[in-house]
Amino acid sequence: MAMDVEFAKIEGRSVPYLTSVGVLAALAVGGFAATLIMHEHGLYLSGMTNRVPWGLQIAMAIFYIGLSAGSLVVSGLYGVFGRMEYKPFARIAAYLAMLFLIAGLLSILTDQGRVDRVFTKPFTYVNATSMFSINPALYSGHIMICVLYLWALFKEKGTLTKITSLVVVIWAIGTHTGTGAIFAFVPRELYNSALLPPSFVAAALSSGAALMILVLVTLFKATGRHLDDHLIIWMGRRLLSIFLVVTFYVLLIENAHRAYLAASHEAGMFFLFGGIHSFMFWIGLICVGCVIPAILLFIKRTGTSVRWTVFASTLVVVGVLFERFLIVVPGLVHPPELLPGWEVTDAALWEGVVGYSISYLEVLQTLGVIGVIGFMFMVGLRIMPLAPKEARAAAGA
Amino acid sequence: MDRRDFLRTGGALVAGVSGALSLPALSSCTSQEAQSATVLSGKKWGMVVDLTRCREGCTACMDACRTENNVAYHGDKRWDIHWIRRATLEPKEESAGLEEKSLLLMCNQCDDPPCAQVCPVQATYKREDGIVMVDHHRCIGCRYCMIACPYNARFFNFKENPEWPNPEYPRRSHGVAESCHFCAHLLDGGGRPACVEACEATGARALIFGNLQDPASEVAQLVAGGSAKRLREDWGTKPKVYYLGL
Repeated sequence: MAMDVEFAKIEGRSVPYLTSVGVLAALAVGGFAATLIMHEHGLYLSGMTNRVPWGLQIAMAIFYIGLSAGSLVVSGLYGVFGRMEYKPFARIAAYLAMLFLIAGLLSILTDQGRVDRVFTKPFTYVNATSMFSINPALYSGHIMICVLYLWALFKEKGTLTKITSLVVVIWAIGTHTGTGAIFAFVPRELYNSALLPPSFVAAALSSGAALMILVLVTLFKATGRHLDDHLIIWMGRRLLSIFLVVTFYVLLIENAHRAYLAASHEAGMFFLFGGIHSFMFWIGLICVGCVIPAILLFIKRTGTSVRWTVFASTLVVVGVLFERFLIVVPGLVHPPELLPGWEVTDAALWEGVVGYSISYLEVLQTLGVIGVIGFMFMVGLRIMPLAPKEARAAAGA
Repeated sequence: MDRRDFLRTGGALVAGVSGALSLPALSSCTSQEAQSATVLSGKKWGMVVDLTRCREGCTACMDACRTENNVAYHGDKRWDIHWIRRATLEPKEESAGLEEKSLLLMCNQCDDPPCAQVCPVQATYKREDGIVMVDHHRCIGCRYCMIACPYNARFFNFKENPEWPNPEYPRRSHGVAESCHFCAHLLDGGGRPACVEACEATGARALIFGNLQDPASEVAQLVAGGSAKRLREDWGTKPKVYYLGL
């Protein structure tokens, strides 16, 4: 029997609500200003250089794209796998997925050298062999499907909901694989790996599920609506924990393979033990992002506590943020071996192992993107019936 | 179906979603290339860098390139642009008889250029005569070409260029990528790359340039000689810059 879930807009008059909307709007304005300044004077105002031409913005873009996997998880539960108790989260998941995809596109957009041309050239001169041509199509398609899916959910159209949620799931795998392929398909030692797209998908599912847990718990708490603990605990123990194991496994194979083969041994060891990024990998990603949260979720005492699940989810989101940074930057910092067995010791260009430091304008841009989607999220809650009045595990059963 | 065709076909299917929206504009971009193809066919420009003739401390080629092509120099290694640069290499492990080497690095004019493969707007493309070009008016500044170039031979205008010594060569704004194009503008007028001319003027003759498809040309003969090497041939990029004495 179908469960009736009542959705309602939030009041949106409380001081915390209005304050957060104000802060988010201010961040958005700040990000816009930072982007204007950078594009007036040049991207040298970022921390990027001719040796590290991609930085924080690209890392954040793929982080957001990964987070949108939250919709895959939740919409899949209700729409594809028919778990009715997860219906209350379907709308908010679809809306968030859309926002994260917008955030990904915004991050890439504001990172371009000629933002003014982005709205014309990629449409008039498509290059079918470029992942940067293919991905915007995947992202925009994903956004459009999310909109359609959301509409189907709002109108309670059963069949369309089922179809669109299935399409969203399939499309999301394409989106995340495509995003991983941006890096995997170029001939750089630390990028070029067939396992990068799958590891991107795995980490995307982990961070997406973790963020959904955080958003849902926070939202229900802030609005004082009822949320059954079982729903969150099941997501933590049965979904997030599995995603973490898969992420860990793929990362393990990818790095072992690279470090084992003589051809890539040096690059592999550089990644694992060669600098500050190695700390990010071992501490940030492996310990904080994978192992500790997985253990917390698997142990019965902590895994069945919402509080601990929220803590573990926070660790996962932080860990995956590191993972995204580790995809982008170390592969550029590491110098290509132009003549095997030889290293560049002196040159006009900044050769050898180089550094990358994030500039304050890049941070403002990043906060700006968070501001834009945070603002859209908060306003969305107020103008659309996105959030359920309550979510009960046993209701309707 | 080779790798390239496979990627093209596969990519076309996916990109078709967005491409369908812009079909009329799409068809217009090929006519220009087709036109130049007839003029340029039968040629494959290549260069041989004879390191045994290259003189330590000489900067003639680099200076000539900078002046001819208005290549930006800011005095900061992070943002300076080098279409041709000198690098010193040392053996990673001590080995008898191995001393440091001095090498000239530039765009390798790959016959299978990863930069052109990844450019989302076809601003980087390979001409019929094999030269890899950047259209500064089309480049959106995404820097994917720099990511894809395994030789780190591509550069980005992070800052406005402070000097434009050559009024004949186009200016470009900050926010676009660029790299060596064998002075295609000079070649098209019957000339030779500025670096080659400058090197010859010093009497070193370390840079030898010509048509690789002409068996009588000096470059073709040097390459046929068998001792000319290319950087990282194992990457499969098929560079058209060869080295002697590497």
